[in-house]
Amino acid sequence: MATSLLLACGLNEQKLPGFVHISEESNVDGSFLISCILGQRLRISNAGTLLVCLQNHYQHYFNAGMRLGYNSNIFLGKTLNVIDVLSDMARLGLTSKWLRSPDGLTLTEQLVKDIREQLEKNYPNRSSYTILIDNLSILINLGASKQQVQQFCLDLADLAKAHDNLTVITKLSNSDIHPLTDNNVAKLGNVRIQVLRLKSGVFRDVDGKLLIERVLDDEGSYSCEQTRKEVLYKVNDRNVKIYNPGEIGVKV
Amino acid sequence: MLSNLIVTNQKVVLIIDQLNRDRIALKFITSLLSEQGEGNDIKTLPIGTQLKHVANFDALLNDCANSASNQQSNPTDPITTKTGYNVILPTLADLLCYQTPAFIFDYLNKLRQSEHVRRVFLWASPMHLQHPDADYILAGCEYMAELVLRLETDSTLSLISRKPAGGVTNKRYKCQVSKTEFNVKPVTEGADTTSSPVTTTQETPDISDPGRTFKIELDEDEVVARNALTLPYERTSETEEGNIIYTPDANDDFDEEDPDEDLLIKMCSHSDRQYKPWL
Repeated sequence: MATSLLLACGLNEQKLPGFVHISEESNVDGSFLISCILGQRLRISNAGTLLVCLQNHYQHYFNAGMRLGYNSNIFLGKTLNVIDVLSDMARLGLTSKWLRSPDGLTLTEQLVKDIREQLEKNYPNRSSYTILIDNLSILINLGASKQQVQQFCLDLADLAKAHDNLTVITKLSNSDIHPLTDNNVAKLGNVRIQVLRLKSGVFRDVDGKLLIERVLDDEGSYSCEQTRKEVLYKVNDRNVKIYNPGEIGVKV
Repeated sequence: MLSNLIVTNQKVVLIIDQLNRDRIALKFITSLLSEQGEGNDIKTLPIGTQLKHVANFDALLNDCANSASNQQSNPTDPITTKTGYNVILPTLADLLCYQTPAFIFDYLNKLRQSEHVRRVFLWASPMHLQHPDADYILAGCEYMAELVLRLETDSTLSLISRKPAGGVTNKRYKCQVSKTEFNVKPVTEGADTTSSPVTTTQETPDISDPGRTFKIELDEDEVVARNALTLPYERTSETEEGNIIYTPDANDDFDEEDPDEDLLIKMCSHSDRQYKPWL
């Protein structure tokens, strides 16, 4: 259902880069990318996945997965683990640990602590492990400063460096409103996927544009070589289609 | 090469990067030092989350001091010909993520005063500074730096150098960057005039040169115009304009004799005047 999309993004392989950042511009929705990546990771046998739900609760990801052709509940508690911040807050209210800062920890520090615990418990049993953070701008909405978000991402990048076959995938909404945070998070990894709206306006057959930037590993001392690829995408009811720029146009 | 301009006697070097090259900062500076044969005298701070521990900053200073004393005790070591180490700090954005501006300035000052530190390199990318007072902090770093390299575009850079005696120079260079080489060529005014004749006719100051308030260069047309202009004081000193132009007439009656010949005009000196009887 989303193979071509992941192929275009270079995320279809078993071994992913250590840190991948998805920048989502205002007025576009890049949630389909998270759902596609999640489905691809779940299909790999013995690959562990940790989903940190900040934008939607877990049920949303289950529903989206069903549309894309996979049942995440089968993997839940086995290869899939979930930190469902929104459901915790809805269930426990102000007594939730995300809102009352126990032990003097901030929201981001608490999150790092929980991610580390999950990693220690599950990583040794898995051939590879993927941490999906959806999404960072919700942390800002929940009261974390931009500096704390940057520290949170640095912590995650350190985890990715310290563990082989560990991939951290972050997403930041409204990247055009938080450009500095976006730049600081993107520089932690070698792959950045920008979800952009069409400059020319709204078009029935295309929802937006993906700009995939990949820094080559053999980057030089004085300049870094990047590959840039642009594809257009259309999110349908049960799949995501991609087109090359110019492939689709207005038919008169 | 750029390294010839950067690796000098100036101790604090600030590199302001406007091209979003933050991720290669360490490699960039290390390469500059390696080109000048100082690749082995480098000390760096741990990056990432390790920056939250103040002890790491103190450890670097102590490490420089200990290593320098070891060098002195080992006279066969070729490094002893040069004192101290080159310290490459993490990028300013990473430093500000964990430490306060006051701490950073204090630490920069400590490094500057340390005799075991030969040079300090700090990389700052304005596109990554998300501190609310980032502009002031960057200006503070510029104030402390003795050499400020500003990577403006892919092909131009500027270099502000402050000498210990107080002299300040601001030069602009054209650069040619490849993966492994960074060649620079000074921008000369003459070269500018010949290479871009369209830009020479503009009357507005060159805003791409941040170090100058006024446009002080003159292009060819302006020099010609200046030389052709006669200033007011030069006009008054011209004698030709005060002359009477007389055209002789046929009826003119010129008297050849002196009309005052019959007057007894006697020129006398001051001493003669004392003995005049009518006085």
